[in-house]
Amino acid sequence: MAYLYYSLTLVAIYIGLTLLLHLQFGRLGIVNFGVVGFWGLGMYAHGIMVALWGVPWVLAVVIAALLVGAFALALGALILRLDGQAVLVGTLAFATIVLHLVTTEKWLTNGVVGLGTIEYPFDWGSSTEPVFLGLVVAAIAVLYAYAVRLDGSFYGRLLAAIRDNEPLAHGLGKPTFRHKLVFFSVTCAGMGFLGALSASLFQFLTSNMIAPGVTFTAWIALALGGKGRPLGAILGVVATVGLFDVFIETFAPIPPDYALLVPNIKLMMYGAFLVAIMMYRPLGLLGNSQEHR
Amino acid sequence: MWLVTDSVFIGLIQAAPLMLATMGFTLIYYLNGFINVAYAENITFGAYFASIFQVFLGLGFFASILPAVLFAGVFSVLTFLLVFRPAAARGVGPTEMIILSVGLSFFFRYGATLLFGNNPYFLENANPQYWTIFGQGITDTQVVALSLVAVVTIGLLLFIYRTRWGEMMRALANNRDLAMASGIVPTKVSVLIWFIAGAAGGLAGIFFGVFALVTPYMGWNMILVIIMLSIVGGIGSVRGALIASLLAGILTAGITLVSQPLYADIVLLILFIAVLRFRWKRA
Amino acid sequence: MSQARLSITDLKKSFGGRTVVSVDRLEIGRHRIEGLIGPNGAGKTTLMGLITRKLTADAGRLIYRPGDTDIDLGSMSMDMVARAGLVKTNQVIQDFESLSIRDSLRLSLALPEWERFWTVFARRRNDERIEAEIDEILTHFPFANPGGKALSAGEKKLLDIIRCLLLRPRVLLMDEPTAGLPDDLTRAVMTLVEQKADENDMSVFIIEHDLDLIWDYCAHVHFLAEGQLLCDGSPKEVRDHPVVVEKYMGIVDA
Repeated sequence: MAYLYYSLTLVAIYIGLTLLLHLQFGRLGIVNFGVVGFWGLGMYAHGIMVALWGVPWVLAVVIAALLVGAFALALGALILRLDGQAVLVGTLAFATIVLHLVTTEKWLTNGVVGLGTIEYPFDWGSSTEPVFLGLVVAAIAVLYAYAVRLDGSFYGRLLAAIRDNEPLAHGLGKPTFRHKLVFFSVTCAGMGFLGALSASLFQFLTSNMIAPGVTFTAWIALALGGKGRPLGAILGVVATVGLFDVFIETFAPIPPDYALLVPNIKLMMYGAFLVAIMMYRPLGLLGNSQEHR
Repeated sequence: MWLVTDSVFIGLIQAAPLMLATMGFTLIYYLNGFINVAYAENITFGAYFASIFQVFLGLGFFASILPAVLFAGVFSVLTFLLVFRPAAARGVGPTEMIILSVGLSFFFRYGATLLFGNNPYFLENANPQYWTIFGQGITDTQVVALSLVAVVTIGLLLFIYRTRWGEMMRALANNRDLAMASGIVPTKVSVLIWFIAGAAGGLAGIFFGVFALVTPYMGWNMILVIIMLSIVGGIGSVRGALIASLLAGILTAGITLVSQPLYADIVLLILFIAVLRFRWKRA
Repeated sequence: MSQARLSITDLKKSFGGRTVVSVDRLEIGRHRIEGLIGPNGAGKTTLMGLITRKLTADAGRLIYRPGDTDIDLGSMSMDMVARAGLVKTNQVIQDFESLSIRDSLRLSLALPEWERFWTVFARRRNDERIEAEIDEILTHFPFANPGGKALSAGEKKLLDIIRCLLLRPRVLLMDEPTAGLPDDLTRAVMTLVEQKADENDMSVFIIEHDLDLIWDYCAHVHFLAEGQLLCDGSPKEVRDHPVVVEKYMGIVDA
């Protein structure tokens, strides 16, 4: 039972990351390939504060999110004026820097040995895990409501305008760069917030958690579900993380010898999916509501 | 002072494969105008091809270089013909094309993990010779690496700036429609360029592998630095890419001598993000 | 209209060593509608770009006077200039591909305080007034389907102009408004522009190759060639000016 709650919480966190990616890429056209960097920075910031420095849990979550937001602001100020290719490479570089720093600064992060233990914010016996899951789901619900509310709102229209034709929006008196910077920083802070929540879920942090596979999973889920609508993020994550990390790992009878191969097969298939989607269905396998809006 | 001379010397040797890979990457970037992240696996596969020729066919290290390089070139051409050309024909834009290439990179990388396992392969020169030049120890592998890189580099520069094919490539990169109107067949030129780029990447992979280990992640670990050097060197400028990789090699060697290699990567990547701001055309 | 809305002095811009714009003195806004004509490559579009701060001048001063106070445009960004009431329509067709015509107009009418990150959850109170304003403006123009997207090049061009008008500019710059528009639509656009100019005390400055439009609607015309203003005056004065005849009319007639 505990494992099921763990898996479901993980799915919820991936839905959150994919929703944030939907906001960044689907709504505003920001190609963030450094998801794991923002998420991982939040996770480690929270873990270090709670496990090493004894900062109260809630305060540590807030500080972690703000810290990630501040880094995103600095990075965004450098790269958000540039085109999609540059933003992709810049964010990827950021995530790589975070990964390297977690590996090199062993005095702080304990590297591959691991940092822990990060406890849940409360201990209610056997209901601790389900309540924590409820907490994460509540946060995701707020995020989902936000994404849905963007449709038909002045702000959502502004984001679409910037994505479609930034110079034109700029000429209509919209401070486009400032809007991009604010939106990017806040959504990245959201990734840091989810990272902080993940720290409690994992309890023990190691540097190999900051793997490009996290970014990639969020992207594949977004690509599968369709970048243009919030529901796509949920469907995409269920079809990827839900299928591979929950369903197959929990229920499929895989001999232990082959169990280690599953993650590799998974990432290989994700890769093939992404190629196929980009080539044949750039709006997502499950269609896109934007065309009919 | 020893730090400077050692950095330059080690940097030169380390930069040799980096220069090759950056040149190859830059060629594709220049010709097709998109960042091909899957070039990472071209490097990786070059090293694996050489290991296979060595381990399974019993070829010596030097003898395995040529067939491995040819295979890497063919591999590169295949990715172009089977993936990138159809994608371009379907109108996939530059940003979507990198996302696609990231997908392809994951496909190859984890495919390699399944095929070859997570354990590293060792690519090695069985009977290394040691020489001393200017008071620095050097192996014959390193000498071969340096000389091959020098030969390939000069050959490439001559090819791009002095031959008809190079001229056709530059014409295609600058104005595709005009080039096609004047009778240049893009597919022929592209196949040749992707072959050369793939072969260069494969050769780079062999030397990365022999100086360190052959793993499925070796190319991926290098590709960001390669992308960065290509951009810093001036997008599509092979000469600029060469100078940038040489400087990066020396900087990396210097930082590695006083601390650890990851710091070199961190410094390079931070520099890169700062440089992007000025080097890149505005959106 | 004794005072100019926009005063330009010693404005210079060069690209790669070639001087494209070198305007000693230009005052706009003493007349309701003014025109700028000149041969291709005279620097007309560059001049517009400098005024709206899309481009940064190498030297010179741009003083904008929407009311009684002077505003130096030299330190402002393009969006600030637009919000201050100095707006330009686009020469090349521009559109937001995922926004419907109505959404595009709503975007124009949105105030900055409605476009904040957290306003998404706020109740929307101003919708009715905005919808009414959009309905009013749409009565002037025959869009095939205002709830859908702009389809033809003509519709997109028209939409571009309406988006700008809805910003209630004090100075409206129009870069070749008729290019791509059918004749009857051009007249409808110009009638509306004249009407809005009167209603909202707006000055209009038009670049146009369609000289009939310039002679018909402009009270004052400036002539630009090789980056320099060579003469200005009433349409009749400019039409008959020897420099204009020599450098421009001969080419147009040929």
